[in-house]
Amino acid sequence: MSKYTVTLPSLGDGEDALTGGKVAFWLIEMGQPVHAGGDLLEIETDKAAFVVPSPVEGTLTERLVREDDDVSVGTPLAVIEID
Amino acid sequence: MQSTTGRFPDWIRRQWPSGEVHQEVKNLLEGLNLHTVCQSAHCPNQGECWSRRTATFLVLGNICTRSCAFCGVSHGQPGPVDEREPENVAEAVARLGIRHAVVTSVTRDDLDDGGARHIARTVTFVKEKNGETTVEVLVPDFCGDVNAIACVVTSGPEVFGHNIETVERLHPRLRDKRYSYQRSLEVLRVARGLKPDGYVKSALILGCGETETDVLGTLNDLRSAGCDAVAMGQYLRPGPGNGPVAEFVTPDQFKRYEQAAREMGFAFAVAGPFVRSSYRSEDLLAALPAGK
Repeated sequence: MSKYTVTLPSLGDGEDALTGGKVAFWLIEMGQPVHAGGDLLEIETDKAAFVVPSPVEGTLTERLVREDDDVSVGTPLAVIEID
Repeated sequence: MQSTTGRFPDWIRRQWPSGEVHQEVKNLLEGLNLHTVCQSAHCPNQGECWSRRTATFLVLGNICTRSCAFCGVSHGQPGPVDEREPENVAEAVARLGIRHAVVTSVTRDDLDDGGARHIARTVTFVKEKNGETTVEVLVPDFCGDVNAIACVVTSGPEVFGHNIETVERLHPRLRDKRYSYQRSLEVLRVARGLKPDGYVKSALILGCGETETDVLGTLNDLRSAGCDAVAMGQYLRPGPGNGPVAEFVTPDQFKRYEQAAREMGFAFAVAGPFVRSSYRSEDLLAALPAGK
């Protein structure tokens, strides 16, 4: 068992790159399994809604952000326990 | 049908860009000091496009001398032109293996030729270094300067693009006052005249308050100007400083516009919420008979 902390991936270091958004809602419940590439949560920018995928397969054991929180690139979002 | 938060309908949803390929593209572009409209416009397609190892290059810097109400690109006084940029774009095209390269630019009213020679050099470098790659340019209006348009057209891009952006009625409200609907049509007409056998493309952003009659009128105007390829997508507000979305056009309505454009004789027409002028533009050449 190991724990993986999911952060909001960077879209680029340029001054123009999208830097973050607001958490809209979670797409899986605590304790639920998620596969690599599976939907974790949705965040909204000014332009659109974005689904943030899990980079790893495992079980969601911690939500580190709540709905309406502002999140930026690098913000820890969730902990996934890997079998 | 609205999402839970109510800000966006269900069809305005993408995946947050991530993954190894995305990271590789990001590092490559930054290493070559290149700008992309993907980043500058906060394009929601960035994840999909970069994961397919493609990007739309933004040359002549990332500061535009004009300010259109719908656009997310920064405006102000641009810095000096990076003379190495054409070579670096060609290098990025080679390293990414891009088969259809799209080169767009900010508007540079501060340059005597509007940046036309720089864009032409970029086309030339890309083609010299990448023999099989086709090139699409998406250029500003060059203040209607025929010589500037000719400079770009004669550099040999397979597709010459200039965006009309919105319907005639909304032009004064949405575009910088130095743009005009008629001049944009004239740019397309001049390009068509200079290259009768090339593709001339334009694009519209919808959801700004236009009616179906407005849209069909603009499509007709584009056809009359010799435009034979068109893309239509949803206006998405880049930030608080830009105008609000008047309406989220439904996917079915986009399909009707696409069909209408085909019936008007456009050889290539694509419409959908996330369609952008360069989104999946390689399909344009792939969908049409070779040799045009």
